[in-house]
Amino acid sequence: MIQFADVARSYDGKVAVDGLTLEVRRGELFALLGPNGAGKTTTLKMLVGLLRPDCGELRICGREVVDDRRHAARSIGYVPDEPFLYEKLTGREFLAFVAEMRGLDRSAARRRIDRETARFRLAPFLDDLTETYSHGMKQRVVFASAVLHDPPVLVIDEPMVGLDPWSVRMVKDLLREAAAAGRTVFMSTHTLSVAEEIADRIGIFHRGRLHFLGTVDELRQVRRSHDASLEALFLELTEEEAGPV
Amino acid sequence: MNAETDARALPAGRIRKFPAGGLWAPAPHDFLPPEREARAFWRLRARAAATVLRQMLLHCRFRLILVVVLSAMLWGALFWLALDGFQFIRAGIGHAPTHDQVIRAVFGTFFGALMVMLVFSSGIILYGSLFQSRETAFLLSQPARTQRVFLHKFQEAVLLSSWGFVLLGSPILLAYGIVAEAPWYYFVLLLPFLVAFIYVPAAGGALVCLAIVYWIPAARLKVLLLGVAALLGLAAWTAWQVVAGPEGDLLTPAWFQEMLCRLSFAEGRLLPSWWLSSGLLEATDGDWSQSVLFLALMTSNALMGRHLALTAAGHLYRPAYSALHGQGQRRRRRKPGMPRFDALLLALLAPIPLPMRLLALKDLRVFRRDPVQWSQFLIFFGLLVLYFVNIRRLSYDMYYVGWVNMVSFLNLAVVGLLMSTFTTRFIYPMLSLEARRYWALGLMPISRDAVLWSKFFFALGGTTIPCCALVLLSDTMLGVTLLVILCHQLTCLILCVGLAGIAVGLGARLPNLREHSPSRIAAGFGGTLTLVASTLYILLVVLLTAVPMHFYLATHASRVMETLRGSVGFDIWLLWWLGAGTLGSLALGAAATAIPLAIGIRAFRRLEF
Repeated sequence: MIQFADVARSYDGKVAVDGLTLEVRRGELFALLGPNGAGKTTTLKMLVGLLRPDCGELRICGREVVDDRRHAARSIGYVPDEPFLYEKLTGREFLAFVAEMRGLDRSAARRRIDRETARFRLAPFLDDLTETYSHGMKQRVVFASAVLHDPPVLVIDEPMVGLDPWSVRMVKDLLREAAAAGRTVFMSTHTLSVAEEIADRIGIFHRGRLHFLGTVDELRQVRRSHDASLEALFLELTEEEAGPV
Repeated sequence: MNAETDARALPAGRIRKFPAGGLWAPAPHDFLPPEREARAFWRLRARAAATVLRQMLLHCRFRLILVVVLSAMLWGALFWLALDGFQFIRAGIGHAPTHDQVIRAVFGTFFGALMVMLVFSSGIILYGSLFQSRETAFLLSQPARTQRVFLHKFQEAVLLSSWGFVLLGSPILLAYGIVAEAPWYYFVLLLPFLVAFIYVPAAGGALVCLAIVYWIPAARLKVLLLGVAALLGLAAWTAWQVVAGPEGDLLTPAWFQEMLCRLSFAEGRLLPSWWLSSGLLEATDGDWSQSVLFLALMTSNALMGRHLALTAAGHLYRPAYSALHGQGQRRRRRKPGMPRFDALLLALLAPIPLPMRLLALKDLRVFRRDPVQWSQFLIFFGLLVLYFVNIRRLSYDMYYVGWVNMVSFLNLAVVGLLMSTFTTRFIYPMLSLEARRYWALGLMPISRDAVLWSKFFFALGGTTIPCCALVLLSDTMLGVTLLVILCHQLTCLILCVGLAGIAVGLGARLPNLREHSPSRIAAGFGGTLTLVASTLYILLVVLLTAVPMHFYLATHASRVMETLRGSVGFDIWLLWWLGAGTLGSLALGAAATAIPLAIGIRAFRRLEF
């Protein structure tokens, strides 16, 4: 579903993503982990077409992201790290706009909005202006907009930031359910416990390179620490790669 | 690579809410047709605009009324000025070809200058909205056409950059039509002419913006600064060339010929400003077919400009966006320790308690390290310096002392108004922003009053120094007497203390804790009230000192008044008036400082964050 083939991207001569080759399968929940500035957000922005790779090839559902952007974009539901909503629209108006952009006709749009309203419990505030929403409310509306068109791929940057415990549980369930229903979920997160709990595979990204790719159990085997938490393994791996200060 | 396998199944016991299977394939619905996509964007804009309007009518009536009334007053004043000016030209220049030539030169220069400004303003607005806004990041991640996203922002930029042009251009053109007794179709053609004209420079600005970000994303700010500097230099050079005439021959035929010769640069046949002025003048002369021909020329060029901008956006926008956001944040490392200037400032302000000095120094550092804050102020400051330095070229000194005095006080009022925009835009929002960060200041062992007083001293220093320096420059160039200079410096001090008091006091009394942006805070009710109160205060203080000073100087310069002075002790009465005016302005200054500050301190003490 998602294929990175030797993808690289640099900022002002500084390499942010260095020759990333990765394939994420259908129905898989993949978590990209890494310290600040590792290149995770750059990777996600290339995936959704906001940034272009300097070299390499990136495909979603077989569509090249740069050359066939609109088809690729149609297959994606994207939740950025900072949710954007039009302040002077209500949540329902925003969802209606996204539904129309995604090519849904009016009746289909209404059905999907009702479905997501129930799933994300948006009803109490959906008809208020979004400028009055808390961060968690905004995040829930953005999640709803990302899954409105039943995309085969979900790309999510830091899904748990600012969410209350109920919303965290709900998002975790949503992501697992999406993967179980055949969607591919590609998320980047600092919340290692969430990755450990729900991800099928993880990738540990550091200084633009993928240092580990596999399941958490495989990481334990590689590190020969059978009882260690993902947090301990992650810190060990990234400190090793960082070298002595 | 293409072999796809199903990953781990749903954990047992969890409810499946997504429809199972089959949904991994791209959705069956097709892309939105272009016309439906356009309608969706217009609907989005219309809904947001309706909400803004509804909110303004409900919550910001005062601001809305103020904007409408002030705009109407500005429009009316411009209309009256233009009407009077065109009547003067019509009455003064009987020779029809010369009259036409003068009008052509006036229109050509006016619209040429506006055209250059429109290129810059639309380019700068588009840069912000296409490349820096979070909305475009959202839209670009949707399957919308890139050109549609560009067009959506382009239309907004045209609207935002052109309202000023319509406000300035429409009264002038309407006044001309009335004075010239133009036929009805002149008035009908005005709006299409203006709309078509706006599109040409806006498309030019869009093309320049896209090209700069696409080809030189790293050097974009340098290029912009160079462009603005070149534009200001060109404007200053042009103004110099136009006004630097021999003194004493004002409004003579030779003067007119020389001025027309100097303004001939604005009459290039390839300039849209020339098409606009020619089309409108043809309509005035009753030649509607020629006028429509010019309108067709302008419209076709506007459409071509739009088409070129759209085509360029289709090819350049996304790569340019990606290139720009590929520019890493440059970290500017500063030398450890306090800069010499800051240390000197702390030492100079020694009478003020240390916590207040440190807070004021913090504000100064934040201010000077944010070019967005001071660049606008610097542009206006620079323009005023340019004007004051060239006052003598404008032949004011050929008139009698009363005119010089009046101009000097008008200059003082203009400087005061500039300072009031500074206090409204930068000082008023400070307490709102500080309150948002109160977790930092609130935990320190300093009182809330100290925070407020530090803002006051910062505002006082920030306004007094440039205000006094500018007015001193104006007075020196006008060659006024020492008495007037001293009077002006005292008035400056009164103005600045009062302006600082109003901005800080109202900033503390009417804080906006929801907004992050200082410009948005300044644009709210409290900011508008600060601006209005400051403007009224400036007018009152300047009038209290300017009117008695004007009569005092006039009696000393005029022989008729000298007779009056000798007869009835007029001189003593004038001195009393001058003294009373000065005392009045001092009392007004004290009230404008103390009352808002007292209200502000009381409110800030009670404020909950």
